[in-house]
Amino acid sequence: MISPAIRSAIAISFGAIGGSLSRYYVTELTKSIFGQDFGFYGTFIINVSGCLLIAYIHTLADEKSKNFFIEWRLLLTTGFCGAYTTFSTYELETQTFLAQSNLQLAFNYWFWSIAVGMVGVYLGVRLARLNK
Amino acid sequence: MQPLLAYPIAITIGAVPGALSRHYITELTKATLGTKFPYGTFLINLTGCLLLGFFSTLSTTIEGYPKELDLLIRTGFCGTYTTFSTYGWDTLSLWRKKDRRLTVFYWLGSAILGLGAIYLGIFIAKLLIR
Repeated sequence: MISPAIRSAIAISFGAIGGSLSRYYVTELTKSIFGQDFGFYGTFIINVSGCLLIAYIHTLADEKSKNFFIEWRLLLTTGFCGAYTTFSTYELETQTFLAQSNLQLAFNYWFWSIAVGMVGVYLGVRLARLNK
Repeated sequence: MQPLLAYPIAITIGAVPGALSRHYITELTKATLGTKFPYGTFLINLTGCLLLGFFSTLSTTIEGYPKELDLLIRTGFCGTYTTFSTYGWDTLSLWRKKDRRLTVFYWLGSAILGLGAIYLGIFIAKLLIR
């Protein structure tokens, strides 16, 4: 049997590959739809949906299913959601708008990402508590 | 190699160490500093912003900077190392502990200091390039 530490590392890695590639392709897709300068639409959608997903899984694992496999939880939360969402790109995009002197967009993107992100977390918890 | 294949491979090579360092740093800070505050995620997001600011400046300033290396470091490593979802979940967890001031500090502080870290990264890169 593989040691728990190795099993955790493998689970996180699998989730991380799926998460980071989804982030890349969603961003590329938004760029091809809205234009090269609109990749931040993708980051916004990714961060909000990732907040919803992580809250859903943590709540489900904490409150519903006591025997939720620890490796599955790591794969989905630390691995997938952690890699899918990104804090650094969000801040870099905000800095880009500031550098372009687009103060209104910079503030709106900066503030509404963290505000709507929390709405995503809240919805994730509510959704997990919904089914029974 | 075709970009269709090389790009996702580059991202993957950056993503795995990114996620694992996040995991181990989080575990390490929990063991040493405790669980009163999400020290790990806080530290990770700030250092990740610094790295991204640094490498974004390099990739846009240096001529012929390889696209694969850019994807490996920025989209792969920095993007995966830092996390928005855990930051959101940590904020809710702090809120549930009834420490409202610490919650607001973590929620707004991460976002304000993260932006500062981007500028610091850009500043360091510009110092080195000149």
